[in-house]
Amino acid sequence: MIDAHAMLGDETYLRLDAADLLRRMDAAGVDLAVARPMGAGMIVDHRAGNDLVLKAGPRIRGLASVNPWWGAKALDELARCRDLGAVGLFLDPARQGFFPTEPVATPVFERAAEYGWPVLMKTGAYIYADILALAEVARAFPRTTFIAGFGGYADMWFELPMAIRSAPNLLLDASMIWGAGIREIVDRHGPERVLFGSAEPRNRYKVVLKTIDRLELDEAARRAILHDNAARVFKIEGGRP
Amino acid sequence: MKILDFHAHLDDRWLHKPIPDASHMIAAMDRFGVGQTCVYTMMGFYADTPRNNDLLLERCRRYPDRLIPFVTVDPKEGPAAVDELERCLEFPEFRGIKFHPWLQAFASSMLEETMTAILKVAARTDTPVLLHDGTPPYSTTFQVADLARWVPGAKVFLGHAGSADYVDPAARLIRDIPNLYGCYCGSRPGDLAHLVETAGADKITFGSDFDPGSWELLAERLDNTIEAGLSPEDLEAVLWRNAERILRPSGS
Repeated sequence: MIDAHAMLGDETYLRLDAADLLRRMDAAGVDLAVARPMGAGMIVDHRAGNDLVLKAGPRIRGLASVNPWWGAKALDELARCRDLGAVGLFLDPARQGFFPTEPVATPVFERAAEYGWPVLMKTGAYIYADILALAEVARAFPRTTFIAGFGGYADMWFELPMAIRSAPNLLLDASMIWGAGIREIVDRHGPERVLFGSAEPRNRYKVVLKTIDRLELDEAARRAILHDNAARVFKIEGGRP
Repeated sequence: MKILDFHAHLDDRWLHKPIPDASHMIAAMDRFGVGQTCVYTMMGFYADTPRNNDLLLERCRRYPDRLIPFVTVDPKEGPAAVDELERCLEFPEFRGIKFHPWLQAFASSMLEETMTAILKVAARTDTPVLLHDGTPPYSTTFQVADLARWVPGAKVFLGHAGSADYVDPAARLIRDIPNLYGCYCGSRPGDLAHLVETAGADKITFGSDFDPGSWELLAERLDNTIEAGLSPEDLEAVLWRNAERILRPSGS
């Protein structure tokens, strides 16, 4: 299994380091996790946050995060992260303070496209994190894969199916959304549009895996969600390092 | 362990989608060991609240030991809303009051006089008032928490204890406002641990938000609660003891 969305660092009441994530992965039978920084390491102190996820060991792959308002410095940091083996870009428009559609963010998306990186973006509360804003960007960059982090959780859930429909390169991170929401995307758009994620340490592997179990998916769909889609999107061979 | 679900919905449809009858809710409760469930309207948020209150009461009377109805009124109606609340509270089955300001299209601050009158009725009758929270622009966690300050004798619940994005403010507000409580309903294990640690286990209740057509949601919300790593005493408080203490006394 590949977890497409774990979080490392310290943010308000959440904290998780690589050793603890590995313990949780082992307990749940997860082979590999894709992690992004949280807290100051994601919002302002990018070098520290990115190092945390990029140097966490072979079973944890890192998503680089930068605040687009840093301009050229942000692009330099992305280049550094690429050299350290980053497998994609993470953005949190609400915490980092930008509309996904405003020009300040464009160079960051262009850089992700240049590197062939998928872009995981946290969606949820209205204003900056509107899932429909992410869909706009996904349509503007049709060759880049975008992932709706948290799936619009909680009160943008009703926009999720149409957003996914509107952009073929937009996928759902299932780490925080309830089973019925996941099922609707699988039924309407296929299991290839859904990624298993844990949102550890906010959510728990056990909770997400039980939610997926209750969907009673066929083996191919289950394998796609738990492993194959992430392997394809993040260009991870196998599932074991 | 005993479980009392403080937040669920019972109606025959939501918008155009039909919902199975209450027997499906009872079956889900039996399956997951839930003894009693507090239920709210769905269509009554949009129109004709008196009729929907009557329908909810009728549905609950089929399962008097299992389902606890909450009354909903439309505060945009002014004094008529207070009259409707008084009418419903004549029925001992109604043991709580539910608002959904986002769906009901009002900000409490727009209707200060009526909401104050409603909260005073709630305080006088010892009836908890639960409001959806976590959603701008009418149901932010701060908007709902402020109501508790208006009438300190009323017990006010954040219906989702901060929901997705307001968990930390919710925890601090519940801690700081004596008559403010949180219904943990939809948040995740890491959120519940923070709510209990910050606000105290005696101010948090479990809620699922499920309806008779969505048993999976009840299962998921119980998973969230169990996986938060609470002590047995705190888990018991969250799963039923607080709700039992705070609900309007049965038969009053």
